[in-house]
Amino acid sequence: MDGTPSGSSQTTGLLGYFGFLRKSLWLVTDGSLLYYAWMTALTAIALVGAHAWAVQVTHGMITTNMTDSVSWGLYIANFTFCVGLAAGGVMMVIPAYLYHDEEMHHVVIFGEAVAIAAIVMSTLFVVVDLGRPDRFWHLIPFIGRFNWPISMLTWDVIVLNGYLVINLHIVGYLLYMQYLGRRPNPLWYVPFVYLSILWAISIHTVTAFLYCGLGGRPFWNTALLAPRFLASAFVSGPAFIIIVMRLVRVLGGYTASPKPVRLLIQIIRVSMSINLLMLASELFTIFYTGGEHAAAGQYLFFGSHGHYGLVPWIWTSVALNLVGTALFFLPAALERGNVRIAACVLCIVGIWIEKGMGLIIPGFIPSTLHQIVEYTPSLTEWKVSAGTFAFGLLVLTVTVKLITNVLTGKLHEGVPLTKPEAVETA
Amino acid sequence: MLMGLLPVLMIVTVGMRRAHEEREDAQSVGPTLAELKAVGRSADPVEEIRRAKQTRRFPVEIRRPTGPPVIELTEPDPLGRMGRVACTTCHSVRPPNLSNQQPSDLDEFHAGMPFEHGRLVCYSCHNPGNADTLRLADGRAVEYPQVMTLCGQCHGPQARDYRRYSHGGVNGYWDLTRGGRVRANCIDCHDPHVPRFPKMIPTFKPKERFLVTTRDDHTPGLRFGGGTGHE
Amino acid sequence: MNETPSFPPQGSGSPVLSRRTAVKGACATLGLAAFGAAISPLTKLTEDISAEEFLQQHYQELSAKDKQKVFARLEAETKEEYGAEVTIRDDRPIPGTKFVYAINLSLCNGNGKCVEACHRENNHNRQTNESYIRILEMPIGTMDMGKGNITYSHAVPAEGKFYLPVQCQQCDNPPCVHACPVQATWKEDDGIVVVDYNWCIGCRYCEAACPYHARRFNWQKPEVPADEINPDQSYLSNRIRPQGVVEKCTYCLHRTRRGRLPACLEACPTGARVFGNILDPESEIRWLFENKRVLILKEHLGTEPSFFYFFDE
Repeated sequence: MDGTPSGSSQTTGLLGYFGFLRKSLWLVTDGSLLYYAWMTALTAIALVGAHAWAVQVTHGMITTNMTDSVSWGLYIANFTFCVGLAAGGVMMVIPAYLYHDEEMHHVVIFGEAVAIAAIVMSTLFVVVDLGRPDRFWHLIPFIGRFNWPISMLTWDVIVLNGYLVINLHIVGYLLYMQYLGRRPNPLWYVPFVYLSILWAISIHTVTAFLYCGLGGRPFWNTALLAPRFLASAFVSGPAFIIIVMRLVRVLGGYTASPKPVRLLIQIIRVSMSINLLMLASELFTIFYTGGEHAAAGQYLFFGSHGHYGLVPWIWTSVALNLVGTALFFLPAALERGNVRIAACVLCIVGIWIEKGMGLIIPGFIPSTLHQIVEYTPSLTEWKVSAGTFAFGLLVLTVTVKLITNVLTGKLHEGVPLTKPEAVETA
Repeated sequence: MLMGLLPVLMIVTVGMRRAHEEREDAQSVGPTLAELKAVGRSADPVEEIRRAKQTRRFPVEIRRPTGPPVIELTEPDPLGRMGRVACTTCHSVRPPNLSNQQPSDLDEFHAGMPFEHGRLVCYSCHNPGNADTLRLADGRAVEYPQVMTLCGQCHGPQARDYRRYSHGGVNGYWDLTRGGRVRANCIDCHDPHVPRFPKMIPTFKPKERFLVTTRDDHTPGLRFGGGTGHE
Repeated sequence: MNETPSFPPQGSGSPVLSRRTAVKGACATLGLAAFGAAISPLTKLTEDISAEEFLQQHYQELSAKDKQKVFARLEAETKEEYGAEVTIRDDRPIPGTKFVYAINLSLCNGNGKCVEACHRENNHNRQTNESYIRILEMPIGTMDMGKGNITYSHAVPAEGKFYLPVQCQQCDNPPCVHACPVQATWKEDDGIVVVDYNWCIGCRYCEAACPYHARRFNWQKPEVPADEINPDQSYLSNRIRPQGVVEKCTYCLHRTRRGRLPACLEACPTGARVFGNILDPESEIRWLFENKRVLILKEHLGTEPSFFYFFDE
């Protein structure tokens, strides 16, 4: 782990890399009974989701509860949340590289893993929302007709895919070097790390622009949307990483230094405070001014014209966010304890609601003809969403397992895979 | 003599200038226009329209009554005949009673007919001298097919809007070089005796997928039945 | 640990390894089979979508010959799936034409005949009574649509109300066109915003972008009885739409580009609708525009509609 080259002969280059991937794949499919149970459960849920999606594509989106009034629902809500998760995932990167915090370097890679899984989920959530997934190729630049630069959705396609590629490269390179027992060449990853920091901000900004650029939707049409997205992303992302790190320590046997997590909590404290401040500012503007802009806010927070569909959601979200933030500010959150995990879970769920049922759905209620058509996701939508999250967690588990295998030394260039048990007991 | 010639001269010069203009147009626009048509775009749309208008134009037909109203007899007349009779059948033998103003004043044939048209009375529009015609305010008779002239004398803004197609139903072609139009007459939509447009029941309502019922109050009556059908 | 890596499953491994390999292989096979079973409903779809349909290019890239083929295929599909003989044409904008629509709100009584005419003319799904037009019943004295109601069913006009029909405004600065990621919707020379139903991917971003609730999504395959299908069709307008794509009002371009008036106008019993070519200085719509005070819906959004409302004085 100290970066000295291992003594064995090395197959470098592309071939070596494929060898590394094959070996990784072999090793990540080894694990405890708990691990197999977890993977089987995720696979089962993902399959249920895949089936529900196949039915949806065949019978039409009549199987969802979306309407021409509420034309985006749970899928796009989850998409927005996952983009935030992805953007927040690289929050580890900023202190590690901008401030040259050496201890962060090993943790960074977990952040990147979260980002990769989150991007995969975001992309899937867009795909399952398409009425004609068979025409997906129309979206491919040069093959289809890519309406760039005027359509914000094309920007989103670019930044999301770009982000995925950048993160795959960084994770893949760093792990491969570790696997080879070499010191990574900064030229090969540091520029990409800086790029990924900028890119992380861009993915959530562009996603916010997707909504706030629409003049016909007053609830979204606010300049505060992008900053709010970023602030909440910098809560949900790090919170998720903290949970992953905890699981890795308990189940994967890799113990990272506690210092980076403390830094993450500081980041969460600041970001969540900013997020709540901006929320308050938004609420003031909506309710003090009133008028057309207030209609959706009125419906969301207090209900309107006898419709209260989103009221329980948003107050749950507000409560979770406030309690979660309060917990984060307790000194106990800095210790390794359940308080921290509880705070993370509360904030993640709170932000998931805030970005979904609290932001995407009320953008459509009241409709552009100012009529109230309510929305509750259908069973199909829940199944597909659960399946997508399960698949994302599968990707994350595999990536994290791979990372721990490399970091704990289970997987390196000289490892003889004929005796995997020996490695486990070592 | 000189004064008499002047208008003639003017007409001649104007006519010559028009001809000249048209020639110029033909020269300058002709070939480019063909080109433009090929790509489906026009540089000068107004010019394009003017040219189009030189071609044949289809007529605009206004629906109108063919003549005075006729009445289906429900029982034989005093001479034992059945069939349809004109207004004059009765009114030629009965002197007009100018004191009859409202349906309530009538005790015979027209008794009970609905009438709500401002402060008008029967002979505001009907011609006391000839029951098969109508009468303008200045006393001139108007034939039934020209009833719109009669309406127009009071309803000026509507008559103006009608002339400009801002009032009244139309069917057919917006582009008269391709087809004609049929327009509604005043009395197609407005019963002259009760001209207010009648109330209607909206029978066709789009459903917003889950719109199960319509409630007749301010709140749109929307319910969610989970009616996904394929679960 | 420094043995040469004998990466699996080279067969020479211990019994433990081969058992592991076998189990892993079995699990992978099982997983793949389960995945295949899970997405098996898609097989019906793949049967329905022909290779030509899948590979069809964007409308603007089709040559005259391509179009003929595509239209013939679509006509055959309509015959097969709906049992109706239809003609699909390629109506292009008439040079020198820019269509503008206006509604006289003093005359409109909200009877909904236009809504129904649109439904029939454009071969909308019979199940939902879909239509490109919605009529708001509004209290006199406000233009706040929040006070309006689209689900009224009493006799009209009701006391103290006026009626505001809303359909596609054919904006000159159309947010929906800007939103589309694949250029499946665009504005043509006569001002009509059209959709290539065979190019739309169904992301519904345009539906979110439109401030006038003008766009509709085909949540399912439309159901229209054969004898009710309007056989007079155009590729970019009223042909029967596929499932999963967005559609919208085209000012009945299959009629208007052949010189005829839109179906909603002809159906209007109150004569409240005025339609024409704004570029023609002698057109009725031009006179109206120059002589009446007109209002534009949500003008503050800068969408620049080709649709106006006016009142009698």
